Amino acid sequence: MEEFHNGNEGSFNQEEVDNSIKECIESVVGGDDYSQSLVNKWTAGIVERCLTQLVKQGKPYKYIVTCAVMQKTGAGLHTANSCYWDTTMDGSCTVRWENRTMYCVVSVFAVAIA
Amino acid sequence: MFPLNLQTAFIVEEVSKIIKESVEAAIGGNAYQHSRVNQWSTSVVEQCLSQLSKLGKPFKYIVTCIIMQKNGAGLQTASTCFWDNSTDGSCAVRWENKSMYCIVSVFGLAI
Repeated sequence: MEEFHNGNEGSFNQEEVDNSIKECIESVVGGDDYSQSLVNKWTAGIVERCLTQLVKQGKPYKYIVTCAVMQKTGAGLHTANSCYWDTTMDGSCTVRWENRTMYCVVSVFAVAIA
Repeated sequence: MFPLNLQTAFIVEEVSKIIKESVEAAIGGNAYQHSRVNQWSTSVVEQCLSQLSKLGKPFKYIVTCIIMQKNGAGLQTASTCFWDNSTDGSCAVRWENKSMYCIVSVFGLAI
């Protein structure tokens, strides 16, 4: 059976994206306490940074980046994702980050361009 | 310039209706319960996805769902997309009842 090995240029590298996301979160909110007046700017900042880093890789993908920041007050939060796509080429990565006063959940979805 | 082909376009209203129906069917009338929320969010995304694929349009879909208990906590979400503006689209619906919020986002990417 012929095995087709996908070179790095055309595949979704989950570990690389995971690290990239963590760096973006740290650089935007690392060390800050939850602030209602700033949270809007933070979520926008995080998604923009992540997207910029992803696009820089120059791979043939469309990207969707989502970010949720929640204040820690004991409330329950549950997130779920489901995708209808090409499982051989497309991929996703979700990172959960927290500090003393807030949770941050970032998801990246990469969809291959035919 | 080609006219907009309704059979291959991402129609926000159509998707919004599907999301609302899926959320109502999965959690409408229920109070937040930690032991069931896992099952609920899975059910919401699966129902949405199944209805979307039934539309038979040439799209890949991503459905995300957030369920949060109402207790005064602040929640902010954002998303950004790098795609083809002329063919791809997204739709987000915020739903709530007395004890919880449910935010569902659908992203459709043309094949």
